[in-house]
Amino acid sequence: MDAEAATDRRRKLDAVLADLRRECGPTLRVLSGEAERRAYETDALTAHRVLPGLVLLPADRSQVAPIVRACLRHGVPYVARGAGTGLSGGALPAESGVVIALAKLNRILDVDPDRMVAVVEPGATNLSISAAVAGFGLYYAPDPSSQVVCTIGGNVAENSGGAHCLKYGFTSHHVLAVETVLPDGSTVVLGSDDIEAPCYDAPGYDLRGVFVGAEGTCGVATRIAVRLLRKPEVVRTLVADFPDVPSACETVSAVIAAGIVPAAIEMMDNLAIRACEDAVHAGYDREAAASLIIELDGPGEECAELFEQVSALCSEHACTRLRIAADDAERAAIWAGRKAAFAAMGRLSPEFLLQDGVVPRTRLAEALAGIADLSSAAGLRVANVFHAGDGNLHPLVLYRESDGEGPAAEALAAAIAELCVALGGSLSGEHGIGVDKACSMPKMFSPADLTAMDRLRAAFDPSGLCNPNKVFPTPALCGEARGGAYQPHPLEETGKIQRW
Amino acid sequence: MVGASSSSASTPGGHPSAGGSSASHGSSADGAPTFEPSSGPRSITPTTVKDLRDAVTTNGAVLIRGTGTATTWGAPVRDARTTVSLAGMDRVLDYRPADMTVHVQGGIRLDALQEELAEHGQWLPYDPARSEATIGGLLATGDAGPRRMAYGSLRELVIGATMVFPDGAIAKSGGHVIKNVAGYDLAKLCHGSLGTLGVVVELVLRVHPLPQTSRTVMARDVDTATAQRLTWALTKSAIEPTAVEWCEPEQVLAVRFDGTADGAAARAAAARSMLTGSLAELDEGEAHSFWESHAARVVAEPGDTVMRAATRPGVDPALVGALSAWADRAGVKALLTCSPATGAYTVRITGSDAKAHAEVVKNWRASVEAVGGFVMLRRRRPGVDAMVESWGRAPGSVEVMRRVKGNFDPENRFAPGRFAPWF
Repeated sequence: MDAEAATDRRRKLDAVLADLRRECGPTLRVLSGEAERRAYETDALTAHRVLPGLVLLPADRSQVAPIVRACLRHGVPYVARGAGTGLSGGALPAESGVVIALAKLNRILDVDPDRMVAVVEPGATNLSISAAVAGFGLYYAPDPSSQVVCTIGGNVAENSGGAHCLKYGFTSHHVLAVETVLPDGSTVVLGSDDIEAPCYDAPGYDLRGVFVGAEGTCGVATRIAVRLLRKPEVVRTLVADFPDVPSACETVSAVIAAGIVPAAIEMMDNLAIRACEDAVHAGYDREAAASLIIELDGPGEECAELFEQVSALCSEHACTRLRIAADDAERAAIWAGRKAAFAAMGRLSPEFLLQDGVVPRTRLAEALAGIADLSSAAGLRVANVFHAGDGNLHPLVLYRESDGEGPAAEALAAAIAELCVALGGSLSGEHGIGVDKACSMPKMFSPADLTAMDRLRAAFDPSGLCNPNKVFPTPALCGEARGGAYQPHPLEETGKIQRW
Repeated sequence: MVGASSSSASTPGGHPSAGGSSASHGSSADGAPTFEPSSGPRSITPTTVKDLRDAVTTNGAVLIRGTGTATTWGAPVRDARTTVSLAGMDRVLDYRPADMTVHVQGGIRLDALQEELAEHGQWLPYDPARSEATIGGLLATGDAGPRRMAYGSLRELVIGATMVFPDGAIAKSGGHVIKNVAGYDLAKLCHGSLGTLGVVVELVLRVHPLPQTSRTVMARDVDTATAQRLTWALTKSAIEPTAVEWCEPEQVLAVRFDGTADGAAARAAAARSMLTGSLAELDEGEAHSFWESHAARVVAEPGDTVMRAATRPGVDPALVGALSAWADRAGVKALLTCSPATGAYTVRITGSDAKAHAEVVKNWRASVEAVGGFVMLRRRRPGVDAMVESWGRAPGSVEVMRRVKGNFDPENRFAPGRFAPWF
């Protein structure tokens, strides 16, 4: 950036800071040194890094609106940040922008066990909500793999899912109301009006539904009312090993065809199984070509009946080993292995890129074959661990930066995401578009679709300062070369896949 | 189906594709829609998205119509020049039972869709009182029935949508997969929009396996406080009811279970041991007629006034008491049904005159708003509009709604006045 622009940005940031020192006083923590700001230059999508101009840590909710107003007044872009575990760069700062780090706003404010509602601050971790209500026999259902550390504010931004959203739905289904500082600096409750007594229904447009999953582009959440569920009476979990990937895929289809909605169906391929087993010793079979983790929960009698059926279906589909969790400890071990999958990849490769595409469940086998083709064409290994029940793939592209494989890995990851779209699916099931997949959006959405979405964004944020350059493909982000009209996918050109 | 037709082509009692056609104003030989000569309101029933777009981008205010079951919801629309009926867009476009998704046109009726799904042992777990309404209309009205507590409302079941906006833009969001966070969710934006933002021309829905059986347990002589206590007990128990409804003045609590034959029976039996009052487990016929009459109360009749209140979960003795006191004073009958687990109340007011209805609306709305809730009118006795607004206190987010409306419909052509006096 040229010197003049740099000076201008510095001047604006100084003005923001001066306003905030006056309005918020000394309790607003300010990180302005480069080393301190460096810690906020990336989220879990570490391939993208931008040094923020200023990091602000509000000490309480009341400091959020003054920050947003000061940014608006001086034309400084800003992004809210929770734990920074996002996988699509949603919390990536704008250059010389402000990071509003909400980690200190982590209280569980109120629990109403009768109405089964909790009101929490955005920096509360996902798991802390369930922990706070466990004594009432309740829990908060969405369970992203990072739930120990990820925050509910980030979950709201990304509309996070998790293994159990197959049965219980996504964040959007479990958020009743969001108190939000809008980009114009005003504070409103989206959903019902009173965040302390949230209603299921509110009149007018479903703005809460728009906000959840808008990736932080429509404002900053300051309080969130979530719906709680009663813990199921019974939980049954099994691991089924298969001699090949198609058999595992067919089993998934058979379970669904039988009219059963499991709480979760997860699949891992051999590469993923070995990495997880070596890392966590969950008792997986290192030789299995593919394994399914299937969990059922619900009222005792029904759960037992359906679990029998699922076990039988696994056996009918060439399952080589069926392991049924004997107790909670064994179930926890099985899940610990699965949830450690991304971390375990370090054993296979120094670097990896994680994708999050979705395909219709019936096209899982086709998608996996396509990924294998793309993988061998690129000369890079891909491990697969995914939510099979809802077709949400998590291919891990393994590469070595020091060998110069980075660009090839990025190209392969993008090709996999776009393969999912070409198979009638989506770029992202739960990680969000962020900066990571913004340039692929034109593969999935027409210019008219994106214009309509942008019109909605502009109703919330006419200034364009709230988490800019996310979700939507912009020339700045994607260049002129990418995006544009539909182009056939490489595998479509070879006749291997067809769009429908 | 013929292109243009009169508005009478929508027959609330019958199937849309069996209805209109010849009653229409005619169409050209090639099937392209033709319009009434300028002046005066007109009605058009397009059969393609493109024709629909042409119809909505003409001058003047546009009223979008499904089967016409909710034309009275919210405030009356002013000066609609064009009524666009979705009756000609009522097809299933792509049903994939193995993926458990179905892609439909916005004008398909819920009951027709359920029939088709049932052939594959599936259903949309969604039971609004107006089963003959169109899916697009149900999304636009944000309607939901008793099973909402277990399965969510249509906002949770729509995974993709295509909309036509007032400027003629045809835009979609979501897709065909049940898990998808790519882009903004325009379908949710349309949930509850009452035809003021766009026409929902296509939807992709997540369907579920049809439960083997459904059982209903009923407790009589359950007063308000007991109804609330029993609801908390039921929702916190392991038996997972799929609906809990309480009706006044009958003081009946109905609890529904969907599941496997043995499982639902076991849960119903467990519920009986938890409930108090005079208990009965309804047989299939009795259950059917109970839920039918429940739906009829929600829909009501012309000449009735129907209020829908949204409050926090619970059935509040103070609100129920206030309703019956105001109804007594006005000399009307107020029939209430409440979903305590989600805090939704529907009140049907019958008898006496418009002034009496308006009094009850005004007074009870004040009681509901005092506890943070909202009351909208779904139907009113002629004359009520002059005395009381269809909407009460505006939510704090109304300014954002105005901006959304302004961005999508700057000329305020789609259902103008529907949200009056808010915008």
